[in-house]
Amino acid sequence: MGIQEALRLTQVKKSYTGVKALKGVDLSFNIGEVHGLVGENGAGKSTLIKILAGIVKPDDGEIRIKGNDVHIRSSNDATAYGLCFIHQELNLVSYFNAMENIFLGHRYPRKFGPLVDWKELKRKTGKITDALQVSFPLNVPVSYLSAVERAMVAIARAFAESGEIYFMDEPATALTDIEKKKLFAVIRNLRMQGKTVIYVSHNLDDVLEITDRITVMRDGTVVACSSTEEMTKEMLISHMIGKSLTSAFPERKDSTGDLLLQADRLTNDRIHDLSFSLHRGEILGIGGLVGSGRTELLETLYGVRGHQSGSIKLEGKPYAPRDPGEAIEQGVVLVPEERRRQGLVLGRSIYENITLMSLSEVSRFGFLRHQTIRKKSSEAGRRVRLKSSNYDNSVSTLSGGNQQKVVFAKTVMNLPRILMLDEPSKGVDVGARFELYTIIRELAESGVAVIVVSSDFNEILGLADRILFIKDGKMISCRENTGIDQESYLHFCYGREN
Amino acid sequence: MGEKIDMKQNRQISRQQSDGQAEKNRTAGIFIRSWGTLLGFMLLLAVFSLLRPDVFPSGRNFRNIIEQVATLAIVASGVTVVMVTGDFDLSVGAIASLVGIIAALLMKAGASIFVSMLAAVAVGTTAGLINGLLIAYGGLSAFVGTLATMTTFSGTALLISKGTTIFGLPDTFAYLGQGAILFIPVSVFVMGISLVLMYLLLEQTTFGRRLYAIGGNEEAAFLSGIRTRRVRFISFGISGFFASLGGLVLTSRLFSAHPQAGSPFMLNAAAAVFLGMTAFKEGEANIWGTLLGVLIMGVMGNGLNILGINTYVQSILTGLIIVMAVLLSSLAKKKA
Repeated sequence: MGIQEALRLTQVKKSYTGVKALKGVDLSFNIGEVHGLVGENGAGKSTLIKILAGIVKPDDGEIRIKGNDVHIRSSNDATAYGLCFIHQELNLVSYFNAMENIFLGHRYPRKFGPLVDWKELKRKTGKITDALQVSFPLNVPVSYLSAVERAMVAIARAFAESGEIYFMDEPATALTDIEKKKLFAVIRNLRMQGKTVIYVSHNLDDVLEITDRITVMRDGTVVACSSTEEMTKEMLISHMIGKSLTSAFPERKDSTGDLLLQADRLTNDRIHDLSFSLHRGEILGIGGLVGSGRTELLETLYGVRGHQSGSIKLEGKPYAPRDPGEAIEQGVVLVPEERRRQGLVLGRSIYENITLMSLSEVSRFGFLRHQTIRKKSSEAGRRVRLKSSNYDNSVSTLSGGNQQKVVFAKTVMNLPRILMLDEPSKGVDVGARFELYTIIRELAESGVAVIVVSSDFNEILGLADRILFIKDGKMISCRENTGIDQESYLHFCYGREN
Repeated sequence: MGEKIDMKQNRQISRQQSDGQAEKNRTAGIFIRSWGTLLGFMLLLAVFSLLRPDVFPSGRNFRNIIEQVATLAIVASGVTVVMVTGDFDLSVGAIASLVGIIAALLMKAGASIFVSMLAAVAVGTTAGLINGLLIAYGGLSAFVGTLATMTTFSGTALLISKGTTIFGLPDTFAYLGQGAILFIPVSVFVMGISLVLMYLLLEQTTFGRRLYAIGGNEEAAFLSGIRTRRVRFISFGISGFFASLGGLVLTSRLFSAHPQAGSPFMLNAAAAVFLGMTAFKEGEANIWGTLLGVLIMGVMGNGLNILGINTYVQSILTGLIIVMAVLLSSLAKKKA
């Protein structure tokens, strides 16, 4: 019995209204190992983590921690079992200093009754930072700390709460190489202390560097699990892809027309030196990983972000929108990533949501023309095949797919010149996706230039006429979407040029 | 963020699975939510009528009530606009007082009534726009911003009036607060116009749509091309304008200007809008709700007065009723 199991999952299942997110997952993590967990979006990693964090309840299956059957009903339960989660958005109180954050879940040491014993707090913090061999400023609010230092504080806090199993979700995004080295040193320290670290990341190089074993998930099951020494990047990628899904995409017709938009050496804090062109009737896919600057590129074109240097020309004229209002006036529209948070006013009616982007079209002297609203909304609704009998109903009564169609209808009520889509099929069930893709294709055929950002590479490969690959805000490659298979797609995303 | 959405989705799923009985409860819930406040108002009328059948339910008394609430209704209709976007305006009382003082001083200095009123309203509207500047563009929270300007405006009113009440206004000025057109008091007339204007603005114009969109989801509104800061800025100006109008009517009614005459508006207007948010629309400020809120406050004050209950107790009861109304509507919302 050399190796002991820290956590074992047996046949854990979970479905959300018909969609099977986890189809019986068997997994085990050992004490004193760093374990990589990889898989494409939708593979089931996040559902798995939510189950262990007590946010989601599994439908079936067993969870054992150090051999004991456990039921994780809440995040408090998870903490009590020694499970801790280091997220990208760390749950730190930004105006508390590191010490205060580390001991947030405890009683601070006291003196003279109610007064906090700062000396003792400092001593206790010192013990933890020594054990982990980390250092960060103790006396300033954590908002002044760098990203990696904040991650350290979060890890120290988990350590103080006697965490045994550390889940780290993309901890190295936004870290420089030097910072990443520091983080990895801390992870190795945790392993030496006999802790278990589960390292979840899309960055396969990092996973291969830091982990001892790797588990690959796909379509809600574990498809591979072996020691890191036996794995290569190519093997990981082929496991992640598996058999290619016979994807349901409308036939690609070349409707590419004249040059519409030309970006030249576009630069701001998140994108660097991006040059590309966009034509009428073309679908341009943006390939890249989460955090590569995909969304930020759209935001720059939409006037949410400015650009420090470089230029954009729309039909030969300089284009530099200062806010989305100006972009919309120029016929550039966006379907944002977070439908509920950014796309819809949930409490309001379908009419109100559809017309929100083009109020001046449905009014005279600022007064609404209800007849025009009715006519134009149902036209836009028809264009996107929105199924709803009554547009007076609140959008919150619609399904995810139909809600997305409302956002689409809003953006295409006036036929735009450029339609930008950020994760267009997110939260849309598989059945409704084909319809969405067909709508996108139809819009392109009618002359609209479309830019698609998606984490689902099949979506980009199935939809796009051309693909612009970016990494860390820089262009890797821009090429016609012919002869690119899933493997080479991922290679481009990871920054290889051929 | 992700967790929150998940929980919401779960709740929605369990909602869909609920059976017919729950559906019935839900319908009942929506009914109570939309009409409960109105029913409560009727109940209030019934109770006072039963307790004092000789005095309370008379045309004369009702006319009296409406005249009493006219100024509050004017001010509250402006506050409604601000609260539709989810902001707040504590400074309306101070603006009303300041406007009254300025108009009175100008009249005393010999300016014509019309010019005095116009100048005073201009100052009050500018004061509202200053709020808008601080809050929409300066990034102050509406609460802190208007709390600060309230103090400043109030101080200004005290300073220029030297802290005293200004008497001796021209006789014709009394017409605004005390005169009548075809038996309808002018103040009630102004109230009616304010309410109708506000109805048109909120429900029939693109500006109203923008206000409600910002109140519902500011980020989605911004990404839909709405200049959210400009809209919020203007909404504070509108609030300042109606506070000024209310201040003028009040000054005329009292036929004197006191540097703190408008103070009660601060809380009463907000209370009326809050009460109104529990009526007709779900949790959103709306103009007919605000009118209902104003009437509830007016009837409460009047009825308790007739019953001879002292004003301190009246304050306590008013507070309790607001808490109850808002609590009931939020409970009904949770259940549904």
